[in-house]
Amino acid sequence: MKENMNPDDVKLSALLRESRVSPALPPRFQENVWRRIEANAVPAQAGSWLDALAVLVLRPRFALATAAALVVAGALLGARAGDLAANQTAQSRYLSEVAPPALR
Amino acid sequence: MNRSLVIVLGALVLGVALFGGSYVASRHLCQVCVAQPPGSLDWLHNEFHPNPAEMARIQKLHEHYLSQCAVMCRMVSEKKKEVAAALNGTNQISPAAEQKLAELAACRAHCQSQMLQYFADVSQNMPPAEGRRYLAEMQQWTLGLREENPQPPSEPAANERPRH
Repeated sequence: MKENMNPDDVKLSALLRESRVSPALPPRFQENVWRRIEANAVPAQAGSWLDALAVLVLRPRFALATAAALVVAGALLGARAGDLAANQTAQSRYLSEVAPPALR
Repeated sequence: MNRSLVIVLGALVLGVALFGGSYVASRHLCQVCVAQPPGSLDWLHNEFHPNPAEMARIQKLHEHYLSQCAVMCRMVSEKKKEVAAALNGTNQISPAAEQKLAELAACRAHCQSQMLQYFADVSQNMPPAEGRRYLAEMQQWTLGLREENPQPPSEPAANERPRH
């Protein structure tokens, strides 16, 4: 039978294709496939958190927000430190004016 | 090296640089802006909140005291020179040197009593609670009691210190 088969026989090919019966898929087949794929997923590697962090850092929104927060925090703390330092300088100046070190 | 590690480390360095840069710049700016000229009593005003009339009286007291203080400082300096001269070339304290030392001590004591009187006068020209705080703080600073009493005198009871 094989020997008689002509690959160019279009009609025969079409008939053969039609004759193939594809079985009906069980209910929720696709969902179950994905569930099994997820269940068998490769466990997280040691470096994955670093990759996730790198991805996060490279996000423009996150990078911009973090940079802005750092600048604001630095400026606020710097202003507070500057104010304290200036106050201390003024106090020392007053003290050295009214109570020269020789008298203390 | 791992690419992610490089990115995270780079971000960390950048973050530290941003924070440090803004901290240093802001500190410097604030220090320059808030700095008071020499001889100004702004610190006293900001710290102890006398009203304008009290501040004017304090300013007068301050100027009067500074002129007295300059005279006393010159006297102390002269006495020091006399003590140095009396001690010069000897390895013993002569009666003359002792006399000069006593004069120097008396001069210093007089200066200190004038200084304490000035603090008392200034404190009386402030709101009472602030005056007490000022006097306690000045006495501690100038009589060297700060080291013996690490508790800062500038921390009055919460209800005593005015809120800014």
